[in-house]
Amino acid sequence: MDVWNNLLQGFITAGTPINLLWALVGCTIGTAVGVLPGIGPATAVAMLLPITLKVDPTASMIFFAGIYYGAMYGGSTTSILLNTPGEAGSMVTALEGNKMAKSGRAGAALATAAIGSFVAGTIATLGVTFLAPLIATHAVKLGPPEYFLLMVLAFCTVSAVLGQSTLRGLTALGIGLAMGLVGIDQITGQARYTGGVPELMDGLEVVLIAVGLFAVAEALYAVLYQGKEVETQNKMSKVHMTRDEWKRSWPAWLRATFIGFPFGTIPAGGSEIPTFLSYATEKKLSKHPEEFGTRGAIEGVAGPEAANNAAITATLIPLLTLGIPTSNTTAILLGAFQNYGINPGPQLFDSNAGLVWALIASLYIGNVMLLILNLPLVGLWVKLLKIPKPPLYAGILIFATVGVYGMRQSAFDLVLLYAIGLLGVLMRRFSFPTAPVVVGMILGPLAEAQMRNALSIGEGHWGVFVQRPGSLFLLVVVVVVLVLPRAMAALKRRRAAG
Amino acid sequence: MAAVVKRQAAVAAGVVVLGLGLMVGAMGIPSAAGYAGVGPNFLPWVVAVGLLLCGGFLAWEALSGGFRNMDDPDGADHGHWPGFVWVSAGILANAALITTIGFILSCALCFVLAVRGFTSSEGRLDLSLGAWVKDTLIGMAISAPVFWMFTQALAINLPGLTNTGWL
Repeated sequence: MDVWNNLLQGFITAGTPINLLWALVGCTIGTAVGVLPGIGPATAVAMLLPITLKVDPTASMIFFAGIYYGAMYGGSTTSILLNTPGEAGSMVTALEGNKMAKSGRAGAALATAAIGSFVAGTIATLGVTFLAPLIATHAVKLGPPEYFLLMVLAFCTVSAVLGQSTLRGLTALGIGLAMGLVGIDQITGQARYTGGVPELMDGLEVVLIAVGLFAVAEALYAVLYQGKEVETQNKMSKVHMTRDEWKRSWPAWLRATFIGFPFGTIPAGGSEIPTFLSYATEKKLSKHPEEFGTRGAIEGVAGPEAANNAAITATLIPLLTLGIPTSNTTAILLGAFQNYGINPGPQLFDSNAGLVWALIASLYIGNVMLLILNLPLVGLWVKLLKIPKPPLYAGILIFATVGVYGMRQSAFDLVLLYAIGLLGVLMRRFSFPTAPVVVGMILGPLAEAQMRNALSIGEGHWGVFVQRPGSLFLLVVVVVVLVLPRAMAALKRRRAAG
Repeated sequence: MAAVVKRQAAVAAGVVVLGLGLMVGAMGIPSAAGYAGVGPNFLPWVVAVGLLLCGGFLAWEALSGGFRNMDDPDGADHGHWPGFVWVSAGILANAALITTIGFILSCALCFVLAVRGFTSSEGRLDLSLGAWVKDTLIGMAISAPVFWMFTQALAINLPGLTNTGWL
């Protein structure tokens, strides 16, 4: 089969010493940022985007992907050992992981998290290997109207469906779209919202927004509101699982993989929903329900961690085959592709087959590396948790500077960075989600171009979006996604009242 | 509670102002629609109107019982402003000085000022000379390898005090 040949070719490219080294460095940095509070994979990838100026695309995508899923492995260490979660997707892991660590079973929790991540990551990578080319061959048939609606669907799910408040989600999306408008219009070359500032003609840099919203805002928020918080750390124990713990983990890993994977593939972004679903499933099916919330049930760690990794890996499918990011980090990965003048989409599997397959092959390799980095070497990462907050956050600011300044060599960008940081503090304080900002900013210009191309096809008539069966179907999906959760909530309320 | 309402109303007002600003900007963009029937000014109008609507709804929420579905924000109720000033000074000093004193020194300065901010928010601000020197050295120990990695290994330009690529 063609896939095997391509994959073999990918392994040959990814297996060169230099690319293996990039993967290893990426996985190491990824694990570190996963472990460290205050910095996540999206920030880390954004800070390192300047390397796209010099490093060849295959190597840097392997590197970035390593950071992306490495952070998921590292995040579990923090959420199990510290009583504050590192990554959003690991929040559920913390529920049982913390309890296990408190009853002296931190080692078993870490083991099931790492091995579960490996199992789920590898199965999900198999899914990417076989599904992505398949989806790409079908996606070639999509025209601008369908693409536009797919992007609208991504906007809706990121801003309106996830998160606590649709209104605040949409506001965040609007801010992101507004940021994406700054610069030269792709179709007519008209300058928009540049105010005559030459630095703004090229638009706002992704690095700037992401690093400002995540790293600088995080630092400012910490200094303002979190100085008095004392973090407590749980005691480590030997990283080891008993036969019984293996027996309880296996089914949880597998179930969670099949829960997490589909959520990653649809433009519904984020790993919060599948991790919660997996947790609920395990709690329901467990033969030891009395352990949940008391001394800590191993299924409650094994499931969510596996679901998290499966979902994260699967988000590469919409990114690579459709060019649609569904999370902060994939949005920034899309920015990385754009820096190389590569537009992910169905053509990617033809035009950049070498890169794509090397990237996919590196996922298999990276998962093995991460298993080794996170099991025998977990003790090293635990030491990172001892770094006191002041030098940690101050150090993050140095990395923020290098990322932003390195991209465009502009001190003006550093002032903008501070302003974006302030915006981030406000958004966090008033509970506005940040993912819609980043996704809106990166996907906005692409969606606008698709919409205007679609209208050109329809000679200026909006009917073009309902006349084609594909786009009509997607339009219905968008409406369902927007209406269904609200209708269900209303129904629930009425039932509760009546 | 009144303070919360005021603050939320201010946020809503900010969104409205942003929407209005975008609208003013959109007026200056020619429509140049062509075949598509919509031109480069179309999305700016959509976003401007959208943000105005969001701002309006947010204002209504703020004045009728506060933003909906809000958890209490994490962290303390009141901000620690002295620490904030230290960290802000660090970031802005870095922006102002990076091209003149170079990446390593400028980032070390940012590091030192930021550490002052974080330690003061933890209630253990140390302004002794020894602490300044120690943090300056730590800051340089972080920024120098980063600088060398970028300038030497990756050949990406960062400003230096000298043109040697080492400082």
